[in-house]
Amino acid sequence: MITRLAIALLALLVVSAPVGLTLFLLAFGVDWFFSAFPLSRGMGQVIWSSSNSALLIAIPFFIFLGELLVRSGVAARTYKALDAWLSWLPGGLIHANIATATAFSATSGSSVATAATVATVATPQGTKLGYDPRLFAGAIAAGGTLGIMIPPSINLIVYGFLTQTSIPQLFLAGLIPGVLLALMFMAITALICWLKPSYGGPGTKADWGARIRGLRDLVPVLILFAAIVGSIYAGWATPTEAAAVGVAIAACIAAAVGGLTLSAVHAALLGTVKVTGMIIFIILAASFLNYTLGAAGLGRELQELLDSLNLGKLETMLAIIVLYIILGFFIETLSLMVATIPIVAPIVIAIGYDPVWFGIMLILLIEMALITPPVGLNLFVVQAARRAAGAEGGLGVVMQGAAPYAVTMLIMAFMLLAVPGLALWLPSFG
Amino acid sequence: MTAERTLAALRRANAGVGLACGLVLLTACLFILVEIVMRRVAFGIFGGTDEISGYVMAGVASFAAGYALVERAHIRIDILHRRLPALGRTMLDILSLGGLVAVAIALLYHGGGVLSKSLSAGSTANTPLETPLWIPQLVWLLGWVWFAIAALVLLVLTIRFAMKADWSSAAAIAAPETDESAIEAELAEQEREAPK
Repeated sequence: MITRLAIALLALLVVSAPVGLTLFLLAFGVDWFFSAFPLSRGMGQVIWSSSNSALLIAIPFFIFLGELLVRSGVAARTYKALDAWLSWLPGGLIHANIATATAFSATSGSSVATAATVATVATPQGTKLGYDPRLFAGAIAAGGTLGIMIPPSINLIVYGFLTQTSIPQLFLAGLIPGVLLALMFMAITALICWLKPSYGGPGTKADWGARIRGLRDLVPVLILFAAIVGSIYAGWATPTEAAAVGVAIAACIAAAVGGLTLSAVHAALLGTVKVTGMIIFIILAASFLNYTLGAAGLGRELQELLDSLNLGKLETMLAIIVLYIILGFFIETLSLMVATIPIVAPIVIAIGYDPVWFGIMLILLIEMALITPPVGLNLFVVQAARRAAGAEGGLGVVMQGAAPYAVTMLIMAFMLLAVPGLALWLPSFG
Repeated sequence: MTAERTLAALRRANAGVGLACGLVLLTACLFILVEIVMRRVAFGIFGGTDEISGYVMAGVASFAAGYALVERAHIRIDILHRRLPALGRTMLDILSLGGLVAVAIALLYHGGGVLSKSLSAGSTANTPLETPLWIPQLVWLLGWVWFAIAALVLLVLTIRFAMKADWSSAAAIAAPETDESAIEAELAEQEREAPK
């Protein structure tokens, strides 16, 4: 069953069936071929109880929050402020690229919008100051991936929903690896620019006045982040409530910079509904597939498969990591995650890994997929924004620049494997 | 009705659906905020927000799935798609839409089963509100009706365009939105929205 499912999954995706449709068809296939009794009778109930969820509604809230921030031009201000704080490091502005992309995608949860915004703001500066275009662009693409790891993360909510794992625990677990990865990105940038000073631009040293003025733009974003994450961790609010509070704060920030116009809110709402519809359809399909797989005896079959493969715990995990890296070259992130969770998560849990830990590992591998060619969404985004800003060079420029960061992510994956506590230490207090 | 007018009507109705979903979400958000504030100032809890949020999500989920369909936002992997000639691409689009129509029919059939069971059993939610379940389930099911209508109209129109060999019109309604065009739209939008 597993082999045939995997083949059918890839075949349907290759003929460009929508991901949600693919998962529904697989579920029907499981029902038709592998089940002794008709499972689709349960379809209505499964879809109803999956969509009737006060947890999932956090997803449109987080999307809306990000749409509001991006459309109100807060990102450009953040970039300027972070430039003042970070550009003395070897690598100069590149650190501001990483930090802005990180801060923004973390609060907004939208990798595309973040990378587009930061690239638009940053590219003219980088060209003017003579930065190496590869590293400059690659840093933005890489920084934008961190948003799905650092809470609040829509991808972690989806993982938690599909694997019945606690969202607050997952959010806690993502914090250290996310921040550590951002620091490693900055360290590798500094290292490269120290070895090859021509890659970095002129190191500028902003005066403290500029830094203090910058705080005015940084503090609201920090408050937003702290309010969302802090209230969940402190147990004052559910993820959904924290998301609603986040929407209110984001609306205040947008209003403060004069970006809360009726047309901006209208566009943000429609954008939110569009992305929500896309995500939720996939989630519902995956829930139904989960149900049919469970009822058709996937667990037993997985156990037999694992016994016959006779791999150790670590070897199995390494095989899974390699699988994701390969699939990540071709498949877009959310689809990759949702399409594989119903099969891979039970394996991982069966061989004794912690589902919270695996959630973080999975997110890390999927972040890598965002910047590995030929299909890496963030690469496309940054390139499109660079072209719009009149920078020279093709997609290859961004790919090369992103490569050191992809390697950094791989190192992080092995660190996470060697030291599970990176993810599991914080949740142990939760 | 001509294909163009049908399409325009579908898009108009869809824009309404999208805005309605957005406003309902916004209302739910305000509702949750009010509940948080009331809990803080200890007026007592008026409760039920969780339950209602769930119903809102269910309704928005099905309607938004239809909205995203007309907006061509459902993710498709275009590795093969973009390498094919127009005829092949349109064939894949027609297959996808056909599949979605089939899923929509299954959702309507089985979703209808859930609704009729709640109606005949008079089921109420196991909560203090004792919400009669048929109410949120009806809204949820209507969302799938919208999804089914959208999928069917798009399928018929795509086939009609394909029979006239009008590949660009077919692609404009059924082809996956490419990453490039999605990103360019995003950038253009930011350009427009950014305060000067």
